[in-house]
Amino acid sequence: MSKFRVHLPFSILSLSYATVGTLLVVYIGLIAVVMSYATLTIEFSQSVKRDEAVIAVLESEYLASVARITNTDYRAAGYAKPLTKTFVRARSVTASR
Amino acid sequence: MRAQFRFRIRLILSFVIFIALCILLRLYFVQIVHGDIYAQKANRQFSSGGSGLFDRGAIYFTRKDGTLISAATLATGFLVAINPQTLTNPETAYTAITAVASSTLTRDAFFAAAAKKNQVYIEVAHRLSEAGGRTLSTQNIPGVQVLRESWRYYPGGSLAAQSIGIVSYGSGDTLVGQTGIEATYDGILSRSGDALYKNFFAELFSNVGDLLVNTTDVREGDIITTIEPEVQTRLEDGIEKLNRKYGSKESAGIIMDPATGAIIAITSYPSYNGNDLSAVNPLLLGNPLVEQVHEFGSIMKPLTLASGLDAGVITPQTTYNDTGCITVNTREICNWDLKARGVIRVEEIILQSLNVGASWVATELGQDAFREYFTSFFGTKTDVDQPSEGHALLSNLTKPQQIGYDTASYGQGIAETPVQIIRALGAIANGGVMVQPHLVSAVRLNSGIERELDWSKKTPVFGATAAREVTVMMTELVDEKLENGKAIIPTMSVAAKTGTAQLTDGRGGYYTDRYFHSFVGFFPSYSPRFIILLYTNDPKGVQYASETLDATFLDLVHFLIEYYEVPPDRGLPAQTGTATSTP
Repeated sequence: MSKFRVHLPFSILSLSYATVGTLLVVYIGLIAVVMSYATLTIEFSQSVKRDEAVIAVLESEYLASVARITNTDYRAAGYAKPLTKTFVRARSVTASR
Repeated sequence: MRAQFRFRIRLILSFVIFIALCILLRLYFVQIVHGDIYAQKANRQFSSGGSGLFDRGAIYFTRKDGTLISAATLATGFLVAINPQTLTNPETAYTAITAVASSTLTRDAFFAAAAKKNQVYIEVAHRLSEAGGRTLSTQNIPGVQVLRESWRYYPGGSLAAQSIGIVSYGSGDTLVGQTGIEATYDGILSRSGDALYKNFFAELFSNVGDLLVNTTDVREGDIITTIEPEVQTRLEDGIEKLNRKYGSKESAGIIMDPATGAIIAITSYPSYNGNDLSAVNPLLLGNPLVEQVHEFGSIMKPLTLASGLDAGVITPQTTYNDTGCITVNTREICNWDLKARGVIRVEEIILQSLNVGASWVATELGQDAFREYFTSFFGTKTDVDQPSEGHALLSNLTKPQQIGYDTASYGQGIAETPVQIIRALGAIANGGVMVQPHLVSAVRLNSGIERELDWSKKTPVFGATAAREVTVMMTELVDEKLENGKAIIPTMSVAAKTGTAQLTDGRGGYYTDRYFHSFVGFFPSYSPRFIILLYTNDPKGVQYASETLDATFLDLVHFLIEYYEVPPDRGLPAQTGTATSTP
């Protein structure tokens, strides 16, 4: 049984120092990335919510406009109810609204 | 010397590891144990003693072109809280707050709050605008805190309010959906609250499984309804005007696609504004079209005839002798005008709305067959996606007396929910097949995936031939009888039936002068796009549904034809190429 021994060009201790140092840098970098990610997530989420609230106001105005148009009394606005309606074969050019 | 060097190195290394562990521990507490608190601080940018910001998924209307319009969403603004212990000048604070607060804050209430020196946090005003909140915040009044808040907001106000529903605290301290879609889909709309603030790093520490498959992403989302906002507005406008005109107790309507069961508009009047529940009658918060049952009257006759035709006991050419009145189990059943018609074809039962004829068909069918058909129409709930769905009252069909079957044949003595009625009558428009009425078409998950809901359940109740034969009769009614034939649309076939039922007096009988009016119709008759159900409860000064509901129905038909550009389904007179009608 022969005694086997590996000869490395550097010491184990130096390797450990390098590894610990690298891990430490990676760890600190990871913390920085995660903190930035969390901050951006919150900022974007809040930005989306603010935008949604602004859109909701616009949608509210749109729905109010639809209600106002629907409620409009055209006779009170001076328009007369037609006496007859004429149905024609060809599509009316004014129908393509 | 070397050993001493090693010792120093190990000491430094131990120190570094110790510091790293301290940082790690601190991060654990910051991000996981106290994550919510720091998240709120970051989010609000103000100190806060309150709970997390309210978050909830949106509910959308769907326009005809597929555009989504918010039916329920979140609004953001500010709330104002005071700390009575540090509030040095209540007068200045009150003046500043009332200058920007949109909600009413009485002087007495504010000073009563300010006098509670044993408390440190009292909310005194809510729902301040962005500008108002920031203005107040910049004044830095001692003892006054301006905090961000969000709340449920319904851009349409009262639009489809009873179907969209509301959120409230209920029995717990969390806002949950209480009625309508808000309640039915609460599990999808509600938010866990901390999802926004969790990050990759925290997830890695807390739950690796959740990082790989986020369970909330497959559960939480937004709701996309089938309600078309402009059609909904039109229906609500028509129903409100109808109710005001006749001073009814209530009026309501549904517009549905008879082929799919998608409800395009649904409303009841009176209703409420979802943004202001301070003075709402709690009885209005439910959805009467789903929860309440009514005796609908003669709109039941098409179902009676369809049953008779499907069973083969009658054909469209069958005749019967209409005597005007008949006596059944010592009770008298009469036509609406008490007049006899003699020997006539069964289609006149629809065209002239003859109770004696409908009773004759019920007798020809026999009790067992009649019960079987009507149980298939109304014996089960529709499973519409609304809470607290009511069930039909069909007890008269379990008794041996023929009078119960005869009265049921023209819609009295049995009661159904409006959603059940439109589902059953929709079978006439849909080749004899009942579909599942529904208000929500899809769920848009947080992951971005849009998941279509399955509403494909179909229930055949009678044959397509019977459905078509009844449709012919209902179309003739519109072309020849409705408004004395003036309601005809030369380029569009429309099928309809009116119903007038006597209201129950609560003592086992019926009022002789109070009525429930109903109206059902669909078009184009032989390939329907829409089925419309309208009703008004106890209208004043008018007896028949043809007088109250026809104008609203025809207005909706003309609106839908134009709005959806429904193509003509029948021709014009060959000689002229034109036709006229009186609107």
